[in-house]
Amino acid sequence: MIPLNPAIEIALLIVLAPLIGALLAGMDRKLTARAQGRIGPPILQPFFDTVKLLRKSPIVVNRMQIMYAYLHLAFMILALVLLVRGQDSLMFLFIFAFSTLSLVLGGMCVRSPYSRIGSQREIMLMVAYEPILILLMIGLYLANGSFLLGATLATGKPLLLSLPLLFIAFLVVVAIKLQKSPFDIATSHHAHQELVKGLTIEYSGPYLAILEIAHFYETTLLFFLIMMFWVTNLWIALALACASFFLMTVVDNAFARLTSIWTFRFMWTGALLLALTNILWFYL
Amino acid sequence: METNLLLITLLVLGPILFGVSMLTGLRGYARSVMVVASALLVMVSAGLLAASGVREITLPSLVTEVGSFLEPAMILAMLAIGLRIRSWPVRLMAGVQLALCLAGLFLHRAPHPEETRLIIDHLSIILVLIVSVIGGLITLYALGYMASHEHHAPATAAPTSRFFFFLVAFLGLMNGLVLVDNMKWLSLFWEGTTLCSFFLIGHDGTDDAKASARKAITLNALGGLAMSLAGFLAAWNIGSESLSTVMGAGGIALLPLALLALAAMIKSAQLPFQSWLLGAMVAPTPVSALLHSSTMVKAGSYLILRMAPAMADSALGTTVAVAGAFTFAAASALAIGQSNGKKVLAYSTIANLGLIATCAGIHTPIAFAAALTILIYHALSKALLFLCVGTIEQTIGSRHIEDMGGILFKMPLTTNIAIIGMASMMMPPFGMLIGKWMAIESAVHQPLVLFLVIAGSALTIFFWAKWLGRITTASYHDTYKIETVSPWMSGVLVTMGAGVLVTCLSAMPLYHAIIKPISLTVFGQVSAGESLTLLDSVDQFLSWPLFVILGAIVLAGITSLLFFKHSQIRLPFLCGENVPDGDFSFEFRSLADKKDRALLNSYYLSPIFGESTITAWCNPVAALIILTLFGVLFL
Repeated sequence: MIPLNPAIEIALLIVLAPLIGALLAGMDRKLTARAQGRIGPPILQPFFDTVKLLRKSPIVVNRMQIMYAYLHLAFMILALVLLVRGQDSLMFLFIFAFSTLSLVLGGMCVRSPYSRIGSQREIMLMVAYEPILILLMIGLYLANGSFLLGATLATGKPLLLSLPLLFIAFLVVVAIKLQKSPFDIATSHHAHQELVKGLTIEYSGPYLAILEIAHFYETTLLFFLIMMFWVTNLWIALALACASFFLMTVVDNAFARLTSIWTFRFMWTGALLLALTNILWFYL
Repeated sequence: METNLLLITLLVLGPILFGVSMLTGLRGYARSVMVVASALLVMVSAGLLAASGVREITLPSLVTEVGSFLEPAMILAMLAIGLRIRSWPVRLMAGVQLALCLAGLFLHRAPHPEETRLIIDHLSIILVLIVSVIGGLITLYALGYMASHEHHAPATAAPTSRFFFFLVAFLGLMNGLVLVDNMKWLSLFWEGTTLCSFFLIGHDGTDDAKASARKAITLNALGGLAMSLAGFLAAWNIGSESLSTVMGAGGIALLPLALLALAAMIKSAQLPFQSWLLGAMVAPTPVSALLHSSTMVKAGSYLILRMAPAMADSALGTTVAVAGAFTFAAASALAIGQSNGKKVLAYSTIANLGLIATCAGIHTPIAFAAALTILIYHALSKALLFLCVGTIEQTIGSRHIEDMGGILFKMPLTTNIAIIGMASMMMPPFGMLIGKWMAIESAVHQPLVLFLVIAGSALTIFFWAKWLGRITTASYHDTYKIETVSPWMSGVLVTMGAGVLVTCLSAMPLYHAIIKPISLTVFGQVSAGESLTLLDSVDQFLSWPLFVILGAIVLAGITSLLFFKHSQIRLPFLCGENVPDGDFSFEFRSLADKKDRALLNSYYLSPIFGESTITAWCNPVAALIILTLFGVLFL
């Protein structure tokens, strides 16, 4: 990586990250459309959508919603900055989690059943995947001897080799975070949600745009997190992340939606066992 | 006389004497003056004691003698309660305790009784500050709370003067508990706090209150018995009743230490002894805030942390760590299934005390720093949250979370302070989260403990998010109401809320300035190693860039709030035409134009997280872990 002034690096990151996220989202939509035999929207469609949303007049149900939308975005950007600057992994996780929590609270603070059910389900999902993420950071520590996210670069050993099972468990978490079937329970990119738009139903106009932009940041963040598994070689890292995202699109189109309690049970048994097994290797 | 000694006398005897003055039947204005005076006294003395630094004070052996005569008196009081409430277990345990105590007194009295030492170190100073500052504020809150409570309390309630006697005297007992080294005195203060707790829980005199008080004294009598037994064994085998001597005695001291750990776990309501703390929630709110969340239960954490060096690197320490971590995970899961706000707070308290025990059992510099951080921030935030719930309960008449929708409009001050309190429990980079962060890092070499701590942390999100979401739920109103609460209550809430906000925002600098140096002094700079590196890595976390980004975006949010117009408000989508009805906008036209209400409660998932479901298997497991505590001694 090219050494840059930290301030410039952070500024570049804040500007470029949502663009990368939007492009990834655009490609995802295109691929999905092709898989379903449609032509699909242009790859730049997510940009157009967001810009259009930003230009609408703001409509809300109450004041709290606005604050939570901004908090969601703020903590998402912070999490991404911590990740790219190679800061402490657990603090990164807490900040990442609080970002999602703000989204949940934004959905809960209105008197709309759809939004509230969506929020409850999103909390269930958080509880379901959070142990895997913490275990991932523990794995990072056991492999690198440091809780710093940047430590993998220093050791020069790709993480994927020592954390293969955790990587699989982590991909499931990525699927949940990207709202892919079978985990698009709280809200969905597709129009087949019984909760209408679930969690985000009461957001519209520029405030919905804020959530969309935060989701672009989140997409980029997850992309980078996958790259972290082979961060020693940029090209392999890119290939790994692209392949994983392609897999997400395939999975999204191949599965039907499941329930939140099923996800919770699955994550706390299957995925957790996978992650724990991987962690236990280090103690032997 | 040495100034420190004077300060300690003021801290211990001051509140007790003030408490006695309450019993003379002071009312109204006079009572308020006395309570304010006692609160100011302990706060100022605690501040001065903290400023005067670390030291040990040796008191003449006469003090030890006084202690050994006062202890049987305290146990007799316990026995008397056992007789009055007709409880065989209490009578039995107090009887055995009395026998042990007298046997200790007559069987092997050393020709020269030991001197009593007072230990003023970082740990005890922190606890004295917690007890005196938070405790002092809570007694002030109680002035406002009890004035209103008196009016609607059941006819069976005890006199309010008695309530204030126990509440204020408790501060003195607690200060004594954390300063003495002599086990007789320790046991005396320990029993004293149990008695205060018994009378305060039973204050309302209802069947519920009586049953809860009975449960509390029964379990805590077991703890007291364990403590007396530990003292007896220590005197018998080691020939000393000084805790620090016992701790230095090596393998022979492990059984007394295990007994003390048991006493500590009962006091801090670790599984399977949690039932008494849950019952204690029937007490008036200041009691829950003072005894059962921020201070008395911390006596258990204090004792475990005090003993931690002696348990380190032994099977005893590991077992305590596992027991604590198990309590953390199980209590966090139990909190999910609760809709009673006070019970959620109680389970969360139990969970955090478990986490402190875990850190004490691990006993590395980073674990010690984690334990201190959690100890301090938990006391602050939990006391505040209990006071908020109490205020909310007095206003809306319910402590159920689902009834708290819309309170942001009805009582904006209390609710905003409650939001600060909840945010301080789970928002990064605030104190509690830094504590949890370090706790996870310190557990990294003990897989079982690590897994339990991770599971517990994940579960914690669930109940806080549900509650925070519920209290911030509000329909739009153009104006805010101004709520009417007693100035004592709102004054204390605002003070504590501001305190929590300031300490949380400066959590990283405080870590650098206070917690880390303490941990380094306790463990010594030289003991370099992994744990020390972790301690530094926490310190190196730069929090200010974080606040810059955060501040910028939050400012943007506030700006958009300022330009907010009434015309931007719409009613929520309810899949039917909304029925505008002023305050509540969640009615809609359903089939055949019928008016229907859209209501939705949060998930409590009782089939998984129900109290009976979880305790049915967690209590036996926890009991087995407690048995292991003693089992490992005989391997």
